[in-house]
Amino acid sequence: MVTRIAPPEKPWRLASPKTMPLIEIDQLSKHYQVYQKQEGLWASVRGLFHRQYRQITALDAISLQVERGEFVAFLGPNGAGKTTTLKILSGVIHPTSGTCRVMGHVPWQRANAYRRRFALVMGQKNQLWWDLPAQESFRLHQHIYQIPAEQFQATRDELVDLLGLAKLMRQPVRELSLGERMKMELTAALLHRPEILFLDEPTIGLDVVAQHNIQQFLKHYQEVRSITILLTSHYMKDIEALCQRVVIINEGRIQFDGSLAEIVGKFDQERIVSLRLADTTGIADLQQFGRVTRSQPPQVQLRIPRSQVTSALTEILNRYQVDDVSVSDPPLEEVFAHLFTQGREATDQGASAPKEDMAGSRRLTGEARH
Amino acid sequence: MADDVRTKPQQSANRIVNEPIPDATAGDGITGTGPLVYWRVFRTFVRNSLVRSMGFRANFWLECVSSVCWTIMNLVFFKIVFSYTDSIGRNTGWGENEFFVFLGTTWIITALIQTFVMPNAQEFSELIRTGHLDFALLKPIDTQFLISFPQMVWSNLANLFLGILLVGYAVLRLMADESNPLTLGFTQVGLYLFFILCGLVILYSVMIAMASTSIWLGRNQTLYTFWFYLTNFYRQPMEIYQQGMWGWTLWGFFTFVIPILLVVNVPARILAEPLRPGLDERTWSLAGLTLLVTLLMLGLSRWVFQAALTSYRSASS
Ligand SMILES: Nc1ncnc2c1ncn2[C@@H]1O[C@H](COP(=O)(O)OP(=O)(O)O)[C@@H](O)[C@H]1O
Ligand SMILES: [Mg+2]
Repeated sequence: MVTRIAPPEKPWRLASPKTMPLIEIDQLSKHYQVYQKQEGLWASVRGLFHRQYRQITALDAISLQVERGEFVAFLGPNGAGKTTTLKILSGVIHPTSGTCRVMGHVPWQRANAYRRRFALVMGQKNQLWWDLPAQESFRLHQHIYQIPAEQFQATRDELVDLLGLAKLMRQPVRELSLGERMKMELTAALLHRPEILFLDEPTIGLDVVAQHNIQQFLKHYQEVRSITILLTSHYMKDIEALCQRVVIINEGRIQFDGSLAEIVGKFDQERIVSLRLADTTGIADLQQFGRVTRSQPPQVQLRIPRSQVTSALTEILNRYQVDDVSVSDPPLEEVFAHLFTQGREATDQGASAPKEDMAGSRRLTGEARH
Repeated sequence: MADDVRTKPQQSANRIVNEPIPDATAGDGITGTGPLVYWRVFRTFVRNSLVRSMGFRANFWLECVSSVCWTIMNLVFFKIVFSYTDSIGRNTGWGENEFFVFLGTTWIITALIQTFVMPNAQEFSELIRTGHLDFALLKPIDTQFLISFPQMVWSNLANLFLGILLVGYAVLRLMADESNPLTLGFTQVGLYLFFILCGLVILYSVMIAMASTSIWLGRNQTLYTFWFYLTNFYRQPMEIYQQGMWGWTLWGFFTFVIPILLVVNVPARILAEPLRPGLDERTWSLAGLTLLVTLLMLGLSRWVFQAALTSYRSASS
């Protein structure tokens, strides 16, 4: 791209080491005190006078570094601490302990110089004026961020064009569909050309087409502008489509930090083999090749260890009359679910029974009375 | 949605690539947030809230009419009171016309607070409950400013005009009074306006501080109730409190602790001169106190606000 020379009036900038990470998180923890509601009338009356609190550990000493230009996905079940991390990074809340620097700033000091340089978009909270066309909110952003008129127009037109929003500019935000609203939110957030974009579940609740559109946009925008993006999601599709680096977080801890390929390589040891048989005799014997996960003759689905797939297939095709065969990877969801339960077993040391659901995994670390 | 984004990036890609990439370490080179920025943002708030209230026109007029009706009934009530008595309190100087200056001033201040301050205080409390305060905290501009002015309920301004009319009418009547006419100079009118401003700042500070407590309480639904209590006490000339132990206790409380008695009393005294000729010593000392209290309250509200922000938890989404 364009070669740039550091402006001479600020020579110190030349000296700033390129190796310094853009985001540095060190031993960051966040606890929430939450009021424990009591059951029953008498208990609630008593609760008026002395309340019982419990502590939720949303983040448990996480450390992480992100370089300029990276596209990082935070992945984890509900309550894992993803949103909390983004809120701390954007200075919305203070952590309980630990340090963090983003572009040299401590986020929760909320310096204007820092706040001009990033944006946060949340799938579940919108910031545009509900009763007015998005254009009015854009104008407000222009004034708040002191964007010069020309730059504002250029950026806005380009985003509106990319996201196909031109026809919707005059419509009050409340009349837009969820997907259209999300695109407007993205536009508003990018008007001041942030260097870092924090995205909290940007595709939540969207239909497949809208999800895809937003993924495509993000991918394109990140490549072209080479900004740094941190995205949280619990949709694997987002991650598959977008990110080179995945940070898996569960119960406030980082369980994994690496590339998507690594995860698949590490945890995904099986292949799914789907068969349609022309002749169903001896169908029960298929068990010897692997785990039968579905059997609806003439269709059978098998799980076969990755290393044995070729030999098993040769054998099956020899012995059976097969109409159709396909081999596929297990869905990523499953890989991650497996990973999360592993993580939990490690931390709980097998104390509790394995839980099926990925949701509601808040962990209690203590009780305090007030 | 039909025109898929998929094909678009290719078309517009070049345009983005050719633009300079934001400097790696510098940001956009903007060094400060000057007064001009605040003015522009304020203007946008005014514009947007006007557009919004015009969007619900029927509702706008209905609100205007209902608040004007209420205010006129208020006037009729005091007309009836003054058919029984010549003045409020003995030797206080608050005769009918002086009191109507007071009443008009009350309307002006109440209208301004209900147009500019109450909707925002209420909204602030709501932002805390829903976690939408997040967005205000992200903006490179003073957060207190940003939450103090976005909402304006213009229909409440109807009473401002009624107040101005009433004050104008009563002042003319006082100037035409043959036995003890009122004489007004520009300084006096200027002081009147200035102390109205002080009164607004005091009320703003009280309400913002109250609303800030929502950060610790989770929500504060008593905001309008609290406002109603306040209006009940600042609506009277302070002389009515100045007798008996209970009266003096209330007077002291609402002059020094929650200093809302100064809000209307000081500007109204300055304009109506109840103890003509000239402004009495008491008015001057109250004015001095008001000045001090205004600065103090503003500082205090800012301190409470900042302290509250550090405890903000941002509702989970
Ligand atoms: N404002 C809050 N008050 C109390 N608890 C909270 C608050 N925000 C988050 N939590 C708790 O912290 C944990 C992590 O939440 P969060 O970061 O929102 O998870 P995620 O975004 O990964 O779903 C959850 O157990 C959640 O209940
Ligand atoms: Mg979340």
